[in-house]
Amino acid sequence: MSLYILMKILESFPEKYNRGITILTRGNLDDTYNRLITFVKRGQKVLDIGCGTGMLTIKAAKKGAFVKGIDVNPGMLETAKNMVEKENIIQNVEFSEMGAVELESETSESYDIVMSGLCFSELNEDELSLTLKEIKRILKPGGLLLIADETIPKNILKKIVYKIIRFPFLIITYILTQSTTKPVKSLDKVLEEKGFLIKSVRLNKMENFVEIVAKKP
Amino acid sequence: MNRMDMLKYILINVIETLMRWVPIQYKRTLIKIGTPDRNSPVFLTCNYHLTVERLKRVLRGVDCYILPSNSRGFNVWCGATGGHFNNHSVISSLKTSGIEKLVDHRNIILPQLSAAGIEKKVIKEKIGWKVIWGPVYAGDIPEFIENGFRKTLEMREVKFPLVQRIEMGVMWAFPFSMISGLIAILLFPGICLPLVAFIWLLSLLMFLSFPLYTRWLNPERKNIAFSRYSVIFDFSRLPLIFWGCVIIILVFYSILSGEFSTGFIFRWCVISLIFILLISIDLMGSTPVYKSGLHKDRFLKVYLDEKKCKGAGFCEQVCPKNCFNVDVVQHIARITEENRCVRCGACIIQCPFDALCFKSPEGKFLPPENIRKFKLNLFGKRLKQIL
Repeated sequence: MSLYILMKILESFPEKYNRGITILTRGNLDDTYNRLITFVKRGQKVLDIGCGTGMLTIKAAKKGAFVKGIDVNPGMLETAKNMVEKENIIQNVEFSEMGAVELESETSESYDIVMSGLCFSELNEDELSLTLKEIKRILKPGGLLLIADETIPKNILKKIVYKIIRFPFLIITYILTQSTTKPVKSLDKVLEEKGFLIKSVRLNKMENFVEIVAKKP
Repeated sequence: MNRMDMLKYILINVIETLMRWVPIQYKRTLIKIGTPDRNSPVFLTCNYHLTVERLKRVLRGVDCYILPSNSRGFNVWCGATGGHFNNHSVISSLKTSGIEKLVDHRNIILPQLSAAGIEKKVIKEKIGWKVIWGPVYAGDIPEFIENGFRKTLEMREVKFPLVQRIEMGVMWAFPFSMISGLIAILLFPGICLPLVAFIWLLSLLMFLSFPLYTRWLNPERKNIAFSRYSVIFDFSRLPLIFWGCVIIILVFYSILSGEFSTGFIFRWCVISLIFILLISIDLMGSTPVYKSGLHKDRFLKVYLDEKKCKGAGFCEQVCPKNCFNVDVVQHIARITEENRCVRCGACIIQCPFDALCFKSPEGKFLPPENIRKFKLNLFGKRLKQIL
């Protein structure tokens, strides 16, 4: 599962992103996303922050929700648009080139669900703080925040194994893209500080990937 | 104390020049230099560690703020042109760093080279900050401030001075020599040191002598390479043919002289392969003037639509090669130094009237909106529509 770092390579050529990431994560990410999507219901208004090529967006739209996907990478959004056209769900999806900290244009209490897959790890503390504040504003009371992201294992043994496995991928990714990802630390605590109620936290066996369902009170 | 600071600065420069390839990131928090007040200038830059360190050094004595923005550890020019240092990085930094509460003005000074990726217009529209293009080199900033935040012609131009050429030579030499040194220790320890020395000499020589052979480099004469990524897989390339010939001659020579041994041949194969690889890098992306065979965009030309041009001069302000000349009387820009263009696209991205675009050799146009959307990196899609 340390392969999330290879995402960086895939981000560089968006059209291969979805296929690549499915192979890399051996379907794990797909399972994760499917689990999160069970919270989405027909007719709901959903925001996907850092939608990339629209993996989560499309899943949610297929369930009949109205989804807005935002991302900073216009190349990825272009791929996402093509995917949506292929899936024939254009009427349910809207894309916009926007960053996570640029949510002020969204109306307060207008979304049932805000979700984000592998995006919060790209933000620094200040950015995360502002983003969460804005998410809380745009969510309807009782609305859900669904997060799937890379994290650092708390168990020391697992942490060491994780670092060792991660290292070669770090090098490969680095050689190809000269960049890297930075996993988030204790996201659940940050969420609680920001006034979200944690409904569930699910870690994978390696404890390096976390799924969080949080609720706006 | 000052001496310690100097020592630390030198150490950082040496280490990070050796590891030039590694995107070491500076923490993205606001830096105060001196005792800035509510009217002090704000300089935004990339979060490549060495850049921020150098900027801090240059600005000491000036009361100001430095804002390292997310470029994922890339330098300003590569980051901006490749799409890592973009509008969203700037917006995010201005919004989350707390700078909005610290100063009364809304002027942000950006390095000129970031104009290849950051749009002045968008920053103004989205958060109301006015972008001022600073000089290309941080070293010119004190003079720029003295000048009342205006640039001279000199400050706008990218050069390739000796210091930078040495830096680039070191950038290639260090990883190459480390890897081949390691391999050499495992296979034939005896040649390890000479090999490392050879690699350092060769790459330094390549970059130091750059001005001597520039005039023979003509990237436009080369075809679009069969394999874009490396010379290793492309045996039609001249360097590899040459390499093969050398090896064959070597084999014949050793047989004739009666000193043939596989070890001897193998060693020479490895050494000469390293030589070929270093040469065939083709100075890829390491010079601000020459585009290698990997850069397909070298065939493009900047095209000016005179009907749309209103002579605002945005192009002139951001062009790193001073290709433009704006006629203030007739209100029109002219591309006077076309042959100096490096196709960074900054002029096209910044033009408020969309009067500029790229034109391919076949006469196809690449409109400004595509250039703004699709950045120029190896996997970028900018050229997909026309090449």
